[in-house]
Order: sequence, then structure tokens, then C-alpha cells
Amino acid sequence: MRNFVTLLAKEEKAIFSSPIAFAIVAVYLLLMGYTFTLMLFLNRTAELVRVFFQAAVLFLLIVPVITMRLLAEERRSGTLEILLTSPVREIEIVLAKYAASLTLVGLMLALTASDAIVLGVYADPDWGPIYSGFLGLLLLAATLAAIGLAVSGLTSNQIVAAVVAMGVGILLWMIDSIGYLLPDPFDTIVTNLSLVAHFTPFATGAVFLSDLGFFLTVILVCLLLSMRTLARR
Amino acid sequence: MSAVLVADQLTKWYGPRLAVDHVSFVVASGEIVGLLGPNGSGKTTILRIFAGYLRPSSGTARIDGLDVVGDALAARRHVGYVPEDAPLYPGMRVREFLSFMGRLKRLTAAALTRAVDAAVERLDLGPMAATQIGRLSRGYRQRVAIAQALLGDPSLLILDEPTNGLDPRQIIEMRDVIRSLGGERTVVVTSHILGEMERVADRVAILLAGQLLGVHAVRPSHDGRRFRLHIRGEEEQVRLCLAGVPGVAAVAIDDECRTSPATYLVDAEHPSVSEAVAGAVVRAGFGLLSLEPAPVDLEALFLRLTGDGTR
Repeated sequence: MRNFVTLLAKEEKAIFSSPIAFAIVAVYLLLMGYTFTLMLFLNRTAELVRVFFQAAVLFLLIVPVITMRLLAEERRSGTLEILLTSPVREIEIVLAKYAASLTLVGLMLALTASDAIVLGVYADPDWGPIYSGFLGLLLLAATLAAIGLAVSGLTSNQIVAAVVAMGVGILLWMIDSIGYLLPDPFDTIVTNLSLVAHFTPFATGAVFLSDLGFFLTVILVCLLLSMRTLARR
Repeated sequence: MSAVLVADQLTKWYGPRLAVDHVSFVVASGEIVGLLGPNGSGKTTILRIFAGYLRPSSGTARIDGLDVVGDALAARRHVGYVPEDAPLYPGMRVREFLSFMGRLKRLTAAALTRAVDAAVERLDLGPMAATQIGRLSRGYRQRVAIAQALLGDPSLLILDEPTNGLDPRQIIEMRDVIRSLGGERTVVVTSHILGEMERVADRVAILLAGQLLGVHAVRPSHDGRRFRLHIRGEEEQVRLCLAGVPGVAAVAIDDECRTSPATYLVDAEHPSVSEAVAGAVVRAGFGLLSLEPAPVDLEALFLRLTGDGTR
């Protein structure tokens, strides 16, 4: 646990001392503010469904940029050798890096909550879908971060890590579309792999344990894959 | 002296390529042992196995009796490791990095401060303690890497090509640092430069294509089977006299000592042969001006063991 805290502190410092984090948060807030304002004035309804989908799409693009350096940079610079030859477990390294990336994602989500506060002040929104929407966004971002971390462990090139993680995320987002072309039971399998299929209920106010289980399973598999990558040497 | 490091039939495959081939050797406490060999001979792979970065395909590697695979975390606490090219976090400051590494080695707050202070002083990093690592010269980065390896007071230091890329002054300084670490700690160091090994190591393990060709003492105090004699007399007769002593394996004129009368290098099968050699020289009526232990001619040894390099 002590090693986890030490590694987390180092990762947090690395993330927040980099201009990349601030650029990402600034661009995210700008685009989200634009979307929220547009939705508010065009739809004139006190809900955030479209904002959640907009945020989800942005996360597909942004989270891989946050996670690209986590292991790839350590591998490229050789510092991974220093870390892995210290009395530290692979799981501590993986969890610390994962938690650090979630911190930035969590910050972005917390700042997005200002949209909900504005709705609460000037209207009387249905809070259920808003809470579930934020939970869905958190799970989606956590899943994308886990995918990004796993991909980052496979390469020493940050750009490759970002592009591949982005590709995997986007493919999983829209993989349900190909289900229409596949016979039973493959159509069901493919649809159930889809991020959008599991995110939509959260964004619209329906929370199913199966959706929660899907996101947690993908996260777990990706973290195990990251550990396996570090342990295989 | 107790064995700190034991390699027993250590083998490592990288896919279909055999990088380390059933290597066995022992390093005693306080020794400085060099792994010597051309690039690709398996030196770094062996060090990485002992540092815990790689797992052996077969065989065992033990540090202070702890298996580096079975007792990985415990074994790593006994090792300070400096990888080749000293990879460090360029954005961290020297003291910050050392504190980070000390915390990973589970040092308590008080012990951490003491250990970092001691490492900074030992490696003469005081003026650079607040400097970002990315702004340091190569020599100072190497010192920082060694400083982090000293944290936690490990019994074994593993240094992979520590003089790589350093300028001549930095090489001399690094050599002094490594020599000063010997005795109090066991040091295993790699290099493909013969001269470096001669100056730094007590013994060298010579590797070629993953195979250990031999382990030899470099310093006379650890072996004593080679000695240098300064003898007055006709060269050929002196040679014959020396070669005729039982236990003498080889006799050669020491080309580096262009003295008159000549200086001879004698390789013996046992250190005690020196007495018999001295007696034979005196009995034959030659003038024995001096007899002293001589270090092994590492270059000759390396060439003899590695042959033409095509093995």
C-alpha cells in the first residue's frame, strides 16, 4: 500500500506538471461548454443526455492521450527497469498508474458537474438520469483508461499507444453496428461488446447491473493484461 | 568469505535465441567481479536476471541465499542496480528522485533522510541535489543512478557498463567510486573494455555467446599464479632455467618493462611455485634482482579464451 501511495504521488506529479493535462482539460471544458450551451438554448429542456453522449465521444479521443505515456514512456526511457527491479509489485505499479489517470478523468467529470449545477439553479431537472449519466461516464472513462493503460504497456511509442487505444475504444464504441450483418448468436455477442450499448442506459437514466458488470469486467481484464505485460519478461 | 551471489546453470532463451547458456559462478562477499565479453555475450542478461528484471528460462540465481524468482521481492531488497545508460526521471530533482527510490525500498522517514544524505555525500552530489536530473551531465546522472542503488544498504551492487559514454575524467572518477564500493559491498560490474576491468575488478568472468569461458583473478593478491622477475643473465638460458622449474606453465619476456637485464613473466600452476623459481634462478647462478606478483594479462587471457571470436 505504501508503495502504491509513493508511485501514485509520482504519477500525479508527472501528469499535473505536464502541459498536456492542462491542454486536455481546457479543450474538454471548451467543447463541453459549447455543447451544453447549444443544447440548453436549442432544446430548452433540463436534461443532460446529449451532453453525456458528447462527453463520451470526447473521452474516446481524450483518454488515450492521457494514458499513452503511462507505461510506454517508462519503457522508452528505460525507467521501467529501475521500477521493476525495485522491491515493488507489478500490481502496485499498474494500480498507481491507473489511479493517476483516473484522477485527471475524475477532475474533468467534476468540472462537467457544473452543467448539472446550472440546471439545478435555473430549472427543476430529473436528477436520476443525471446521477446515472455521470456514473455511466465515469465507468466509460475508467474502461477507456484501462484499455489505454493495457495498450501503453505493449509499446514504447506513445503515439502508437494513443492511436491504438483510440482505435480499440472507437471500435468497441460502434461494434454493435456490425451485429446487424451477423447471424444469431454472433449478433448478440457483438452487440454485448459494444460500449455504446452499455453506456446508453446509464445516459438515459436506466442502471442495469449487467452494464455495470460489463464495464467492471473490461476494466479488470485490461488491468490484468497490463500486469501480465509487466510480469512477462 | 560467504557467497553473496550464486549462479547455478543459469540459462536464458529469448525466443529461439540462447542468450545465456548454463552459466554457473559464485561471487563472495566484498568482491568486485567483472563480467567481460563482447556485445551480445550475455553480460547484461545475467545482470538483469540477478536484478530481478528478467526471469531465467532455467537454472537458479540466488542473492544472499534468496532465489531471485521464488523470493523476488526479498532478493531485490539485497540488490542495488544501475542499468546501462542510467535511466532516470529527467523531470525529477536529484534529492526528490533519491527520496522516491528510498520510499520504494521501504525506508522509514528518518532512515530515508539519513540514507539520502549519505548517498548524496558519498557520490559527491551535494551541489546538484536540487538540480533537475534532465539538466545533469552524463557523469552526474551516473552518480545519481549509483546513489539510488546504495539506498537501503544492499549487500550487492550491480552496475551495467557504468563507464559507458563518460569522458576520460568521468571514467577515472567512476572507477574510483566503484573501487571505493568494493570491500564493504559486493559489486558485479560489466564492461566490454578490458582496461576498465583490469583497473576495477578483483576477478573477471569471461563470457562469449552466452557461455562462461572462465573466471580469473585480475589482482595478484587474489591469485598469485603470475609473477614478474627481474633477472640478470643471458636471456635464452634464463628462459630455459625458468621453464624447467616444475609447476611453471609459461615464461615470457615482459614487453611492457623494457629493462636491461630483461624482466620475465612467469605463469605458474600454483602461487607456491614462486619459491621454487627463485631457488632455481639463484642455484643456476643468475642474478635475481626482484620477484613480485604480477596481475593477469587480461588481454592475452581474453584472446586465448575467446579464440578467434567465432565460437
